[in-house]
Amino acid sequence: MSSAPQKPSSQPLGHQLAAGTSTCAGCGALQGIRLVHDILDSKVFFVNAAGCMTLLSIYPFTPFAGAWLYTSMASAAAGGQGVRDALDIMLAGKRLPPQEDMQVVVLSGDGSAGGMGLSATSGAMDRNLDFIYLCYDNEGYGNTGYQLSAATPHGARTTTSTSGNPGYKKELFDIWTAHKPAYAATICGAEPGDLRKKVETLKGIKGPRLLLALSPCPTAWHFEPADTITLGKLAVACGLWPLKEYKEGRLVHTKVPKKTGRRPQVEEYLRLQGRYRHLFAPRRNDRVISEIQNRVDRYWEKVTDEG
Amino acid sequence: MYRIRFHGRGGQGMKTASRILGTALFLEGFEVQDAPRYGAERRGAPMFAYVRAHHKPINERGIISRPALVVVSDDSLLAMAAAGVTNGLTAATLLAVCTTRPSSFYDHHDDLKGQLILFRPPASVNGHSQLSSCCAGAAAALLGIISPANLAAAVARELDALPPERIRVNQQAAATVFRRLTENGAFVREGADQVRVKRPHWLTLALDSAALAAPAIHAAATTLRMDTGLWRSQRPEIDFDTCTCCGLCNIYCPDGAISLGDNGCPAIDYQHCKGCLICLNQCPTGAISARPEAAAHETDEVEA
Ligand SMILES: Cc1ncc(C[n+]2csc(CCOP(=O)(O)OP(=O)(O)O)c2C)c(N)n1
Ligand code: SF4
Ligand code: SF4
Ligand code: SF4
Repeated sequence: MSSAPQKPSSQPLGHQLAAGTSTCAGCGALQGIRLVHDILDSKVFFVNAAGCMTLLSIYPFTPFAGAWLYTSMASAAAGGQGVRDALDIMLAGKRLPPQEDMQVVVLSGDGSAGGMGLSATSGAMDRNLDFIYLCYDNEGYGNTGYQLSAATPHGARTTTSTSGNPGYKKELFDIWTAHKPAYAATICGAEPGDLRKKVETLKGIKGPRLLLALSPCPTAWHFEPADTITLGKLAVACGLWPLKEYKEGRLVHTKVPKKTGRRPQVEEYLRLQGRYRHLFAPRRNDRVISEIQNRVDRYWEKVTDEG
Repeated sequence: MYRIRFHGRGGQGMKTASRILGTALFLEGFEVQDAPRYGAERRGAPMFAYVRAHHKPINERGIISRPALVVVSDDSLLAMAAAGVTNGLTAATLLAVCTTRPSSFYDHHDDLKGQLILFRPPASVNGHSQLSSCCAGAAAALLGIISPANLAAAVARELDALPPERIRVNQQAAATVFRRLTENGAFVREGADQVRVKRPHWLTLALDSAALAAPAIHAAATTLRMDTGLWRSQRPEIDFDTCTCCGLCNIYCPDGAISLGDNGCPAIDYQHCKGCLICLNQCPTGAISARPEAAAHETDEVEA
């Protein structure tokens, strides 16, 4: 665990997260987290479930200027509760001046957020815990070599779904909004304008708040690291990653892609990634490709119908 | 027992190379062990994988500290102490390096123990490098105990997820380097059946209190001391005649290796830039270009 924030004079800040961490070159998760952290500023207490991002801080190295605590995969939200309670007790006992209070941010991958960690998260929402849950969704267990998670999309190959995931992506956003939390939003680091607005909004709200970030992962999705941002933009443009916001009980889509037929086909996005290669070679699998396309089209038809 | 270590960077296929070699040895009737070793699966970061082969069951475990053969897929790792390429080398070790440099470049590396063997990377075909098959082929040749047929079969078996055409290209890459290095005739000598391990000197450590024993880091931003710039194989460079200082590269760089100066213009921190080239791809004015790190490094040395 890192101690309370202290800004060393030698540190060329400008970025809240220091360079020199061991994430893969071109990591989309790190890029998104970096932007969120820059907007939240330095007084952040990360409670980080086991996953790729726990390797950000390997003793005695840390990229953080604030605090960070490592938890097991299942218990990050419970850890968040403990930290929030401890801060509140210290504030009440005047052992911590109010200006040194910290924002608790639970940080985890999709495997933890939508699987093992869900029970603790649901409980935290029941108790109306004042925290942000930042989930970087790389659609699988990245840190252990890319096994299937509940958030792996249909058809994607992982090391435990070698002929493509027969199941469908679990909708973590819907699970959250079913709890009627204070705030929930999907974001992507490749859409920094949309991301900034949402993080600014959520800063002014208290209670359980979700940021679900699509995080292209060159290592596990098998694409060139240089294409991380290209893929994020394409996921939004082709309609596969809806950018949305839930606030005061209302759901709004913050960026609606072009109409069916005028937006890029999902195929363009799938083709760039080795995890979908089996859909195109040695033979094209039209059934799965058009199923993915149809699901996207149906989603946006419903959105426009509901206006 | 034969002990072989492959060194490369995450993403170059040295885990696959060790698997191909392991399978080829298995097909030759050996008992085989092969395993990769990384910090975590990180593209560009130094990693190694190792293979043991023996006529009897293998009871030895863990990292190979006295290899008979070391194969290196990326010559920039030789100069990087953290990559550990030269760990445990003796005069009897063969060190095979995949390189495009002339052999004269290695003349001044007289601190390298072991016999140095250089081989060229295969030409890339449709953007694929065949580096793992090539390095496995090099190891197979230098061991001198693997037939070309079993090498080809092992390539096919380990790459069976690839289309047939790419498997064929990989088999060719393995066979080409195999033929070339077999002519060399420098065969690996089999190591001792057992490595003698010195009895450890045990220490009894008293338990510290949690406040002392928990790994707490009290300083901020200490990762700045990690030179992740060493992972880079391509160096992005900004042409300031074209750059409009829009700042997008600063937003998209995952590593925070680009900062904006007081004038709002970007500067790349090469100590930490991992060379992903997202900045190059996203720059709207095309102001960023890339140069192979090796070439850029040589220019640095001349200028310095
Ligand atoms: C209970 C438990 N099971 C397994 C592991 C091993 N493990 C460490 S990280 C990880 C993957 C986590 O996946 P995700 O939450 O999606 O994060 P990512 O690795 O993608 O960053 C696993 C399975 C663990 N730490 N704890
Ligand atoms: S495996 Fe993916 S998510 Fe994990 S560090 Fe590498 S690029 Fe990032
Ligand atoms: S993205 Fe290109 S134009 Fe913009 S600041 Fe970076 S180098 Fe300059
Ligand atoms: S190549 Fe560009 S985007 Fe990638 S780490 Fe280096 S500076 Fe950052």
